[in-house]
Amino acid sequence: MKVYQRLAANFKAEGVTHMFGIMGDGNMYWMHELDQLGGVKMLEVRHEGAGLGMADGWARATRSVGIATATCGPGVSQLATAFLTAARAESPVVAFCGEHPTNDQDYNQRLDQARFAAGCEAGFVRLNTPDDADDAVRKAFYLARMESRPVMLSAPMDIQQKAFEDDEPYKPSSALIRPRAVRPDPEALRQAADIVAGAKQPVILVGRGARWSGAGEAVLKLAKRTGALIATTLMAKTWLSEDEYHVGISGTYGTRTAMKLFEEADCVIAVGASMNRYTIEHGYLYPKARYVQIDSRPHVVMAGGRSADCYVQADGKAGVEGLDKLLEERSFRNVGYRTPDIRKQLAGQYEDRKEFPIEPGTVDPREVIRVLEETVPTSMSLFTGSGATAGFSNIMFSRQRPLVLPSHFFGCIGQMMPAAMGAVVATGNKPAMLVDGDASVMMHLAEFETMVRYNLPLLIVVMNNEALGSEYYKLDAHKMKAELATIPTPDLGAVARAFGGRGRLARSIEDVRAGAAEWVAKPGPMMIDARISRSVVTLPYRRIHYGGDE
Amino acid sequence: MIEVNERIEVPSAPRVVWGVLSDPRAVVECVSGASLGDRQEDGSYDATLVVKFGPTKVTFHARFAMELDAATMAGRVTAKGKDSIGGTRVQARTTFSVVERSDPPGSAVPIASEVEISGRLATLIETGAKLVVKRMVGEFTERLAARCAAAAA
Repeated sequence: MKVYQRLAANFKAEGVTHMFGIMGDGNMYWMHELDQLGGVKMLEVRHEGAGLGMADGWARATRSVGIATATCGPGVSQLATAFLTAARAESPVVAFCGEHPTNDQDYNQRLDQARFAAGCEAGFVRLNTPDDADDAVRKAFYLARMESRPVMLSAPMDIQQKAFEDDEPYKPSSALIRPRAVRPDPEALRQAADIVAGAKQPVILVGRGARWSGAGEAVLKLAKRTGALIATTLMAKTWLSEDEYHVGISGTYGTRTAMKLFEEADCVIAVGASMNRYTIEHGYLYPKARYVQIDSRPHVVMAGGRSADCYVQADGKAGVEGLDKLLEERSFRNVGYRTPDIRKQLAGQYEDRKEFPIEPGTVDPREVIRVLEETVPTSMSLFTGSGATAGFSNIMFSRQRPLVLPSHFFGCIGQMMPAAMGAVVATGNKPAMLVDGDASVMMHLAEFETMVRYNLPLLIVVMNNEALGSEYYKLDAHKMKAELATIPTPDLGAVARAFGGRGRLARSIEDVRAGAAEWVAKPGPMMIDARISRSVVTLPYRRIHYGGDE
Repeated sequence: MIEVNERIEVPSAPRVVWGVLSDPRAVVECVSGASLGDRQEDGSYDATLVVKFGPTKVTFHARFAMELDAATMAGRVTAKGKDSIGGTRVQARTTFSVVERSDPPGSAVPIASEVEISGRLATLIETGAKLVVKRMVGEFTERLAARCAAAAA
């Protein structure tokens, strides 16, 4: 047996069923062996970075390790943005990367892959000798899972070709990991209960950590007992929105209604949320509140450099249930925010009625979101991209769906299309929709061909203002030449059809509705090029760049 | 750095306008969201200012001082403070004077101001701050005119 064969068998033993990447001679043998072993589907992409992005999307959708692969040198360097995004997203990913031969330091494709991985905030494991084959794979998976981050497993090409001498069965990383929920410290929980019992207007703020731990039922119960509003971070958007006192996102993507209510909050119970500068606006969002924070990490410092008044290290579900139980023992009940008057205030909280002149041949982007929300059933997942148009999609989509994944990590455009593709594959090719900007989609446009090749039922709605939206509005707000940020695109509907998929150019709201309805009736790889008006500024930009109190 | 260069027009006589602008209590009452606190030994004052940046309300606690020259009807105001959350500092330097306006009769008040907001809020609000300051100047103008009209009546 050769080392590369053992490596391939080990990946399979780790439970790998899919991987994303491009073949080069640095990973070719390993991929060939996986094909021989069977049971692992290889999705060939058009840019290695998009492959890693798909593995990242897989990880975000399933919380299991996503797998990517690239060849040495120029294959690896293509992974930079995707690695950084996955690192910031804390996604467990293992990237199997060939490395230049150890006995050829002048190899044309040489690259210091250890330094590259470090620069990209990825973990790094190198296969140094043939005997390391098992340790290297196990360690890569262990690190990816335990530290919830992307890891590069770098395998020099000459080492891969050496003989592997061991017939002991491979012990996968699961043999090392015994996941156990962190239980809350009783004293910390008592302190938390004291704070909550003294609060008149509490807000429960849930992040994706709460969702991962399955704390939903417990949060709803606690909210009813304490009279709390329920708000989410961007990452958990729409979760628990069946509750009548759900106020959407806490932070810069929040509604004015929510922000005014937060001004009066005297207690924030944060569960599985990092409480970063966007979620709490450095603390300005909750000027009167004391904070109880429940998180599985040993400690978290909130934006604004402060610590919660009571920090409880605990699994989300365990922490919330424990808190609720203590309050029940004290017979604590509070009406708080849960009054008919507040419920009335919340009706129409997501509406954005500000008038803007719409250029002929374009659509109001807010109308596009409304129509998509209505036309695409809630059984279908939603992914929202970055950039200016996220200011529409992140606020206005409010219905729950199996997956609602916004982008944000590393503040880059272009990464959500690969992530959406990976998530669709991970969920067994269930139809889903991505709403993203034109510059974003153009960046990895070639991957639409990948979507067609694997018949991925993903609808991409391009919010096309033919511009780099963020820069356009910033230049405008500074009274500089905004046209510098405009870039025309071709008819992306026609491009989609040329790639072998379906596509439509939409210049009216009827076009958008018809296109979406057509896709819902027969999901497949499709692009709607929705030409949106530039005159409509997103709500967050109206606040940040134009000082609007909205 | 936010720079403000305005020329406020008030339909009241210069002496009336100067009367308002040289009185710290009166000036503060012309600033929407501001309230005057205690006078310090060195002649400076504590003040509180509540400002809305977008829908986010921020309360600043500042110390401000005025230097006045009644002969030339010119003044200088310096203010320095920070917000109640503690993450943002603000410094403002303003010079103003009151001059006669003949057509229509009244006064003109040229104001030059430099406002510096630093710290966490600065990154949060970016260009929006400039527009907020501009709006505040507009509101100040209205209130000043109203107050001067009331004083002259």
